[in-house]
Amino acid sequence: MALTNETGTILRNGQVGPNLYLLEVESPDIARRVEPGQFVHTKIPGMEGHILRRPFSVYAADPDAGTFGVLYQVVGFGSEHLTTLGTGERVENVGPVGHGWTLPEDAARVLIVGGGVGAAPVFMLAQQAVAAGKDVDVVLGARTKDALVCQARYEELGARQVLCATDDGTYGHAGFCTGVVDQLLAAREYDYAAVCGPEPLMKIVAAQTADAGLPCQVSLERRMACGVGACLSCVVDTVEGKKRACVDGPVFWREEVVW
Amino acid sequence: MVAMSVNLGGLVMKNPVTTASGTFAAGREYDDFYDVSTLGAVTTKGVSLNGWQGNASPRIAETPSGMLNSIGLQNPGVAALKEKDLAWLAGKDVPVIVNVSGHSFDEYMQVIEALDDDSRVHAYEINISCPNVDEGGMTFGTHAPSVETVVSRCRAATKKPMIVKLTPNVTDVTEIARAAEAAGADALSLINTLLGMAVDARTRRPQLSRVVGGLSGPCVKPVALRMVWECHKAVKVPLLGMGGICTGTDAVEFMLAGATAVAVGTANFMNPAAGRDVVKGIRAYCEEQGVQDVNELIGGLQC
Repeated sequence: MALTNETGTILRNGQVGPNLYLLEVESPDIARRVEPGQFVHTKIPGMEGHILRRPFSVYAADPDAGTFGVLYQVVGFGSEHLTTLGTGERVENVGPVGHGWTLPEDAARVLIVGGGVGAAPVFMLAQQAVAAGKDVDVVLGARTKDALVCQARYEELGARQVLCATDDGTYGHAGFCTGVVDQLLAAREYDYAAVCGPEPLMKIVAAQTADAGLPCQVSLERRMACGVGACLSCVVDTVEGKKRACVDGPVFWREEVVW
Repeated sequence: MVAMSVNLGGLVMKNPVTTASGTFAAGREYDDFYDVSTLGAVTTKGVSLNGWQGNASPRIAETPSGMLNSIGLQNPGVAALKEKDLAWLAGKDVPVIVNVSGHSFDEYMQVIEALDDDSRVHAYEINISCPNVDEGGMTFGTHAPSVETVVSRCRAATKKPMIVKLTPNVTDVTEIARAAEAAGADALSLINTLLGMAVDARTRRPQLSRVVGGLSGPCVKPVALRMVWECHKAVKVPLLGMGGICTGTDAVEFMLAGATAVAVGTANFMNPAAGRDVVKGIRAYCEEQGVQDVNELIGGLQC
């Protein structure tokens, strides 16, 4: 699918949780075409000596309103600087980039796992699965209750159940969300799983779903320069050699990845 | 109308702008943003005989006004270049400069031999300056006798325009430039990346898996300009200048310092249409300054 470099206008950019921010951009072309699991490669204005774009997964999109949203965590200069931008400012996005989730048509029971800020890149997949009439179970993990910022939107979606885990035990299951995944996999059968979050979490869920014989996709993140597939900065080790996280991914099947 | 065409050592380019090898693949990834036929030439990602896996991740780090890379010349080999990239480029109205890499003197020649009867290849850029491989690359380009050996052997393998890409990681770039010229280079390109490193103080680890990598972007432009100017005074062959070029004005500065043509590299990551924008910017500069032929700019520095 064709990429565009679209200049969008910020509609909203504010803190929604500890170190977590929600950015909403009016960017009609990308909003209309973005698919679950794709990302934008953002040129943040005013970055001075920081020359590279930053990749952000798309959380949600409204094709009619021409807007998309990004949930981001402050991890360095770029994301921190992004928090300073306000309504009306312009950002340039290359997008929609990458191969997103491939929800199998015949999968009736779907398990979606989002750890931390990784709850966002699987949201549109959950929307898609619910709209397709599938039974969707969602597991969200976070360090603490206040960081479960996507929970309400998942609950509004009409998933069969949304289960949460917090590392500090302030909400839901106490401990990592992989504990909830273990319980679900023991109690129910699924046809497809998708997981996004810190790489150690994805590795564990990949192993859990492998034990359960369940097809599973993961979304990988790497340092990225071009974001269009040219520079080979963001490669992932796969069983077929090195693949580009940006355009061959970011979503890969569990068994493709050399963990 | 500004006359934009230049002749880079026998390679006729409709304007002075090409892409820096490794930042543009073979152009296809940028096709959504502009027509690569807009460029004076496309320079492809470095190719070796049978392909290389490249280095482990992380392969890049952002640094002040620039970036480090340590890709390690990952490429699928010359057969894949012909089958995929050259086939795609054949449908475009743009000359192709193939960047040639090797781990040994023989491998450089073998790559050229595998390509030389292919009419889709218009020129070569001999990469004796990659800082990210253990054998070949920069190890050849920092030693004048090795430069003479590899360049003269490549020269014997082709009559096509041959550009030799120089490393800035030397005490005197003109010594290497003269060696390449004496061995038969038709043109010289410079600069490749500057060897550098970045450290994460919190983890106490290097930011690149291979510890060191090549620095590029606007931060290297002053070094690149200086080296282009030094080489312009030292050799007669035309120069392809590069290093941090983001705009038409940057490109003009390189031409004034002595470059016949310019390459856009890291800027492609900042702006996917950077190549097209640099062509436009050179033209706009010439119109504004009353320059009728872009060749008037070459070496026009007044000092």
